[in-house]
Amino acid sequence: MSGRLSSESGPSLIGGSGDLVEARSSRSLPVLLIPIGVVGAALALVPLWIGDSRVLMGVAVLGLAFACYAIGFNVIFGSTGQLFLCVGALAGIGGYGAAILADRVGLPITVSILVATLTATFTGGLLSFVAVRRSLGVIFTGIVTLIFTLSFDALLLGLSGLTGGDTGRLIDSGADTFLRDQIAPYYLMLALVLIFLLIHGLLQRSHIGWAFRALRDNEVAAELAGVDVARYRVYGALIGAAMLGLAGSTYAFTEGRLSPTTYGFGQVDVVVLVMLAFGGIGTLFGPIAGAVTFTIVDEILIEFGQLRQVAYGILIIVLFLRLPRGVIPTVASLWRRVRGRCLGFQVFR
Amino acid sequence: MANILDGLVLGLQFGLLATGLTLVYGLGGVLNLAYGQMAVTSAMMVTLAMDAGVPALPAAGIGLLGGGLLGLFLDQTILRPVYRLHDEPRVLLSLLLTLGVSFIVDGFLIWRYPLKALTLHIAGGAVEILGVPMRRGSLVASAITLITFAGLFVFLQRTTLGRAVRSVIEDEEGARLVGIYPDRMLRLILVLSGVLAALVAITRSMVTPVNTTSGLSITVFALIVTVVGGLGSVAGALLAGMILGIVSVVAADFIGSYISLIILLVAAAVTILIRPAGLLGVKE
Repeated sequence: MSGRLSSESGPSLIGGSGDLVEARSSRSLPVLLIPIGVVGAALALVPLWIGDSRVLMGVAVLGLAFACYAIGFNVIFGSTGQLFLCVGALAGIGGYGAAILADRVGLPITVSILVATLTATFTGGLLSFVAVRRSLGVIFTGIVTLIFTLSFDALLLGLSGLTGGDTGRLIDSGADTFLRDQIAPYYLMLALVLIFLLIHGLLQRSHIGWAFRALRDNEVAAELAGVDVARYRVYGALIGAAMLGLAGSTYAFTEGRLSPTTYGFGQVDVVVLVMLAFGGIGTLFGPIAGAVTFTIVDEILIEFGQLRQVAYGILIIVLFLRLPRGVIPTVASLWRRVRGRCLGFQVFR
Repeated sequence: MANILDGLVLGLQFGLLATGLTLVYGLGGVLNLAYGQMAVTSAMMVTLAMDAGVPALPAAGIGLLGGGLLGLFLDQTILRPVYRLHDEPRVLLSLLLTLGVSFIVDGFLIWRYPLKALTLHIAGGAVEILGVPMRRGSLVASAITLITFAGLFVFLQRTTLGRAVRSVIEDEEGARLVGIYPDRMLRLILVLSGVLAALVAITRSMVTPVNTTSGLSITVFALIVTVVGGLGSVAGALLAGMILGIVSVVAADFIGSYISLIILLVAAAVTILIRPAGLLGVKE
């Protein structure tokens, strides 16, 4: 099996040449901060609209958690081409880890979030290190991480004394704090989203971002040009896994209960993949666009029950067949072609 | 001893499960994540036919035919654009598209037939083998599986068509040069893989019920056995199936079921890491 990531022929699934343009346009901070600020301001207004509905606020918080997961997965898969099919498992290490540390060991919530996040970070880094060391391709990395996900699921069901097994567990810690408010958790998760966006944006503009692009576009050429491909892959996995762990553990405390489906493969990994495919793999704002769109679409389709899954299936096929770059980047480039170069849409490429 | 025999029964099922997946991957570089859903769909066809009053044997025939047609359908529709790509992008696109297919099938089946399950009852009591009483259903299932494997080996080793299939697995360009159409071989193998998926569902239903939600776990086990055995190798699939089947049953007996699943998974992961080509891998 060849070690190349993207093909010279046919559409490339993993990232485009898009953000070379973005990186060239400017490395200055305002160009990054303004769109993040706009996204943050727009999302901050959401509670004004649906703030009096506890159910809808729960949906919105979950949507933001998914935005965080999508950014984390984007750093790992979009930036360094490692197909990590353990997004839910890494977030679950954060969530279950933090809940158990806080409830059973009695650590303060912040400390338990920190410890659980570090554990998820280390696990992600280890998986990446092993994959890089054995030079597994995209597919085998996917299979090994999928096996990791299955083991994590088996462990959740098996250690039912700690995890509550199939029915899940309630989290006692933080029950009387702002974490279980109707509005406050939304802003907490929004802060995480914005911080993650900023980190990813700064990464793209740093020397690490240059290395990511180089190794993703052509691994062999990057190696020849002196980029330590193995090292940067592990960096990407560490950063992404830290995001997943932090988001997973924070979400656990705002939700107050955990079950295996909270971080399940079908419930998290597949959804994140669809979100990212929709928003544009490898782009800075793709995860946000995907997460917002799918949170709304999912809420609209909720009355159709199982048929929602059919809709997702059709969508996956259409997205990857017709728009492998993602809907948002395709629409943005059409728009640009119509209106000439438009600075506002630069960020989507 | 009882463990080993139970493990062999399970292992044969694992092996047959992986064969349909491994042939398609070895031949076409297509990773079919809708494989388990093909099996479940065939099982549902058998159930519906039996509900309509068709006797078990013709109903099973309908299931096998249905499985083959599903394979042909995949080949003719969703996999067309996949064939235009090569190497890793091809695997990746096939994986994502068939994941979409598996969602459509799962969503529809669980919506339409949430509680349906296929169970085939084999009449008669337990049979003693080497002093161990075995259920008759397991024995019939294993016998069918063994006969299928024998048929597959004869087909691949002795017939001209089978040699053509193997030549494509080994070297697609070379096969093309000597006048073999790889796309026709691929169509044949996809139909065959559909039939095998249906056969797995039918033989499995003699041991435990196959219900609408089993699709994902069938795909996952097929994938693990395939990778451990070596992508594209039928003998590897059989060997890996046997080993993992025995490991799984023995571990379940000595330790407990969830740890045994983890041991199975870790064994698979370690094999992949030590030998990425699999036990009897054809391709690097």
